[in-house]
Amino acid sequence: MWSWRITAISIALLVVVALLAISFGPVEIGFPKILKTLLGLPGAATGQERTLLLDLRLPRVLLAALVGAALATSGAVYQTVFRNPLADPYLLGTAAGAGLGATLAFTIVHGDVYALLPIFSFVGGILAVLTSFFISGRFQAEPNTLLLSGIAVGSFATAVQTYLQQRNSNALRPVYSWILGELTAANWQVVSWSSFYILFSLSILIFISKKLDGLMLSDEESFSLGINPQQLRIIAVAAATLATATAVSASGLIGFVGIVVPHLVRGITHRVTNRSLTAIAFAGASFLVLADLGARTLLSPAELPIGVITAFVGAPFFLFVLRAKRLVN
Amino acid sequence: MKFFRVATVVALSLSTLFIGTNSASAAAPKRIISLSPSATEDLFAIGAGAQVLAVDDLSNFPASAPMTKLSAFTPNVEALIAYKPDLIVLNSTATKAEDVRKQLTKLGVAVYWEISPVTLADAYSEIADLGKLTGRVKEANSVITTMKKRITTAVNAHRKGKSVTIFHELDNTLYSATSDTFIGSVYKSFNLSNIADAAATADSYGYPQLNSEYIVKVNPRIIYLADAEYGENAKTVGARPGWKNITAVRKGQIVALPTDIPSRWGPRLADFYEFIGQSLAKLS
Repeated sequence: MWSWRITAISIALLVVVALLAISFGPVEIGFPKILKTLLGLPGAATGQERTLLLDLRLPRVLLAALVGAALATSGAVYQTVFRNPLADPYLLGTAAGAGLGATLAFTIVHGDVYALLPIFSFVGGILAVLTSFFISGRFQAEPNTLLLSGIAVGSFATAVQTYLQQRNSNALRPVYSWILGELTAANWQVVSWSSFYILFSLSILIFISKKLDGLMLSDEESFSLGINPQQLRIIAVAAATLATATAVSASGLIGFVGIVVPHLVRGITHRVTNRSLTAIAFAGASFLVLADLGARTLLSPAELPIGVITAFVGAPFFLFVLRAKRLVN
Repeated sequence: MKFFRVATVVALSLSTLFIGTNSASAAAPKRIISLSPSATEDLFAIGAGAQVLAVDDLSNFPASAPMTKLSAFTPNVEALIAYKPDLIVLNSTATKAEDVRKQLTKLGVAVYWEISPVTLADAYSEIADLGKLTGRVKEANSVITTMKKRITTAVNAHRKGKSVTIFHELDNTLYSATSDTFIGSVYKSFNLSNIADAAATADSYGYPQLNSEYIVKVNPRIIYLADAEYGENAKTVGARPGWKNITAVRKGQIVALPTDIPSRWGPRLADFYEFIGQSLAKLS
């Protein structure tokens, strides 16, 4: 029962935050007019204002929501699967692999790099995770072995990326701004393809969320509950990785969402169970929409990289979780 | 490879020329936003300053340019639109420049697509383009003629033999620029031999990071410091291990380059050529 109430609250929060985000920008548009435009009522904005609202602000808010939901949910799932409260969605080399893919795009693509960038970083991220997976012993892998191979593969990818940048100095600045995360110039094309993968993997994760709690027990105990822990782990990690890789391809590296949001939701609800996964998804969406509002307005008219905001909030939070965990132990 | 790059650049500049002339035929833009310090200098030099509404946060010359907090690196479309511009100068290397251009076009704002020049001729054609767009063709031509004359004079007066070696220092981790870069072409026109050229294959864009031992070995006659504004000078350079025997250090031929001028391709390029000429005149 409780989970429905919390889910409803988190949905309401997302609606409020999204409306807030769409109302602010360098060009002032009245709130009633915005509502009318969104609902398709008479008195809607026209011409330039309409384009600004529907083609600039709306896709950006939606993309922030999608990416936030993907990162927060994947973070929560990784934390359960690896039984590590500090696990984050970039743990298995996704980020470094995607970073290498992005750098490759900037160095070998001539012409419109940004059209191909998502494909490159997506493939890079997935390849890195697959490599970690096969090196660590496939389905028989201990969570810790998988984690360590993820770190090793990540370091390797970063080394190759640095080499490429040294050979192609023009790629330095665009790669740097991609690493800090960017939702600037989000458009409907990005929103539509990324929503497909993200909603698909989130549905899987939410569908298996009740079973995921079994992974917090020992493998023998979960077997006795009728759960195949190996299989479940693979499905969970695969879906979470797909969501993360999509998020990274769409918006670059945005850190700490996967740690801050799950802990916050679980802390507020006092539940460690994965039944709160839906609430975590919506809370993650709200968190990133809010962070992006900050990115757009704090230094207006200049942009502040969104990764700076999430890290500014997230890093101290990370230390707080670390300390709290040590005290408990 | 290189031919193709140059060909694309030429093709793209030709196409912008077309777009440019079409949109300019109606009426000259009166609310221009320049997101390029070089274009800002061009626009003011050709007398179109009054048509410029806002410039980016790095367009610090001339002092009368209406500098704003607008970023040229990560253009914010909505912030640009808030100024109600009728023409925006956008550099092709800005973050997601293609998307920004599409969005601006969709919002009904004309865009001048600036491609950073590879040669002096590219720099001139940008001035000519901006002249056409703003209805100041005559002024643009006269700016170009003056630049050409000053640059030729400086080069002819101070051209050196191939024996003079130079090191152009971008930062104190020894990144440099080869003769293939725009800045490198300036040294090349004075017939100087650039020690970074030996590392030309290390970076496909011509900005390799050199090795300290290599620099000591090839012993450059002149060291140009593009990082003078970050605290590098004759003293700090001479204090580097092994550098005190480099000819440039021993003879005091360490030249602090002026701020901004070497990294812009506007009318002040002529100043830069004259500056390099002067530094060569002092060479003993």
